[in-house]
Amino acid sequence: MTDQYVNLGEAIKKGDVETGVSESLLLVERGVKPIEIFSECIEPTLAVIGDQFSRLEIFLPEMINSAEVVKAIQNEFKPLMEADQETISKGKIVIATVSGDLHDIGKNIVKAMLEVNGFEVNDLGVDVETKTILKSARDADADIIALSALMIPSLPFVKDVIDFIEANEEARSRFKVMVGGGPVNREWADEAGADGYGDDAIEAVDVAYRLIDAPA
Amino acid sequence: MKHTTRMMDIVQRSLDGPIKDEEDFNNKSISQGLARVVKEYDIQINKDQIVNMDDELADRVWEAAVDFLASSGVYCQSTGRVILHSREEIEEKLKHAPDNVWIGAGTDAVHEVYRKVEDPRRMLLMGSAIGTAIEEEYYIPSLISYVQEPEVDVTMAPTLEKIYGYDIRTRSPLEIMSSWREAELTLEAMRRAGRPGMAFTGLGTSISDVGQLSADGPGGLRNTDLHTFGIISELKTNFEILNKLTHILYRDGIVDPYANPIYGGLGGGMESQAVLITAAMIALNVVFMATCVGSSPTHPFNFNDTGKEVMIPSSLSFQALARNSHLLTNLTITAVGGPGTKTILYECVAFTVMNTVSGGSRILGPRTATGTVTGHFSGLEARFTGELLRAASKLNRGQAEEIVQKAYEKYEDDLNKQPYGKHFKDVYDLKTIQPTDEWLKMYDEVKNEVAGWGLSFD
Repeated sequence: MTDQYVNLGEAIKKGDVETGVSESLLLVERGVKPIEIFSECIEPTLAVIGDQFSRLEIFLPEMINSAEVVKAIQNEFKPLMEADQETISKGKIVIATVSGDLHDIGKNIVKAMLEVNGFEVNDLGVDVETKTILKSARDADADIIALSALMIPSLPFVKDVIDFIEANEEARSRFKVMVGGGPVNREWADEAGADGYGDDAIEAVDVAYRLIDAPA
Repeated sequence: MKHTTRMMDIVQRSLDGPIKDEEDFNNKSISQGLARVVKEYDIQINKDQIVNMDDELADRVWEAAVDFLASSGVYCQSTGRVILHSREEIEEKLKHAPDNVWIGAGTDAVHEVYRKVEDPRRMLLMGSAIGTAIEEEYYIPSLISYVQEPEVDVTMAPTLEKIYGYDIRTRSPLEIMSSWREAELTLEAMRRAGRPGMAFTGLGTSISDVGQLSADGPGGLRNTDLHTFGIISELKTNFEILNKLTHILYRDGIVDPYANPIYGGLGGGMESQAVLITAAMIALNVVFMATCVGSSPTHPFNFNDTGKEVMIPSSLSFQALARNSHLLTNLTITAVGGPGTKTILYECVAFTVMNTVSGGSRILGPRTATGTVTGHFSGLEARFTGELLRAASKLNRGQAEEIVQKAYEKYEDDLNKQPYGKHFKDVYDLKTIQPTDEWLKMYDEVKNEVAGWGLSFD
């Protein structure tokens, strides 16, 4: 990373939204393209942050704060990038804990890891019904539906989402489904017909990259 | 029904408390609130030492936790409001918390008591896989493998993987059937083992209020049993949880809830985790009227609590609780190792010794193979845990720390390798319900080894 990005990189690491946005705008004023700022500074910085979290050198609050800085920058850059028909998103993901299950920290960790890796994540929360997940995925024009379940009696609702997608040609052509959570394992995910399975938040990012067909 | 007035008060607070956006609660009330008190109360942990030796630090963790809880409250998702208690209200309610309770019935009843730091009395053992799933055919034999052990005082049934061959589905008739089936099979297993009055915690297979409460009554969970529910991490509840509590109170049941903070999650690192565990245990009594309060703080990637980063704040937190309250506290051993491995046995040594000298009342588990692998548990590891409880109660914290460190060295490198071991059917003879020679030999070897470290099993 070149010297011109030092302040921005530090602001992202510290979760300093104000400095992050002002430094980004300063770079644009100096003639650096938003897409370059993302590829040359923001993405490498977020990669470091994700890596630090995977080793638990930093924790969820720090990672969320860094993601907040990047979201604020994305909002500032949106009009500029739309004009140039450029995008920095790795893909759109709708994430939810399925019906009957109230566990959200694991899902939130996966969400934060996906966000710092450049995915746009729409978090539907916990105890979300199948029809709401599918409608939200359509509304958000999602590429991936990520489902979490921590209890055995919630697993059928994960399967429901997969079955509903399988039964609908349009949905099948649009959405990939990745699954995770305590009782979910690779074997179950394969049997249920999921497109991907993540054992933890770190693997979830790899799976999302694979499903979206983006470089890992 | 002892707590009608308090229950009504809690419900009213959930309806009248300050309105808050849930994300704000997560980020500001929890994460920033913890960061504030960690700084203000100068909470700094020696990360090389697993068993806390610093009484003043434990007292500061307590002060920080009360301050934090009075500021954060408990978030009610159903109303979008915060159930708040002032510091004075928290302290007043804690004065009235029970310091002992009889659990179970008849000659199988056991007395759970408040224990101080380095208390020489043995903790109680809830010998159980704590809700790990198992196939119906192995349900009774696997449960008998626990309740037949004299060292096991109370139990909790495993979770049914299916009900009569069908997937169990929350909030459906299948969940209600599974709830009844769990109670029937558990009572049958205890009868067969000759301990019909032993208390069990229930009901683990069901999640929803309707599922859990359906078999909480005549023919099912008894009022001498432990009535459990979990609150939502971190410090959150909803009407479904409060519905369970209300029913338990009307049943005059023993209220035995738990809160499992996630290490590295909203609670951050070890210092704030110690404060969060303490605050959550206080909240379980103040808000949820718990008779006994419990936790299994969880690692975000390994899903256990036997790593240093979770045992260190657990030890500190439980000493803070034991030194500043008379709450009946419990921790669950959630281990990565499974039956048929020495890993699980060393994890039991480290965690049980740490917990015993840190002042808990009851220990739960071990929940082997992180509780996520169907059928990977057996009664032998509970027998070992019970023996360890007796041996560890003779130790002071310095002696405990040496043993914990030795045990930890034995499994530290296995923590992220998923050493989940074997299925119950592969480590027990299903006719005699006794451990196989191979599994028994492993247990004997580790027991002899740790006896040489200063644990007296006489």
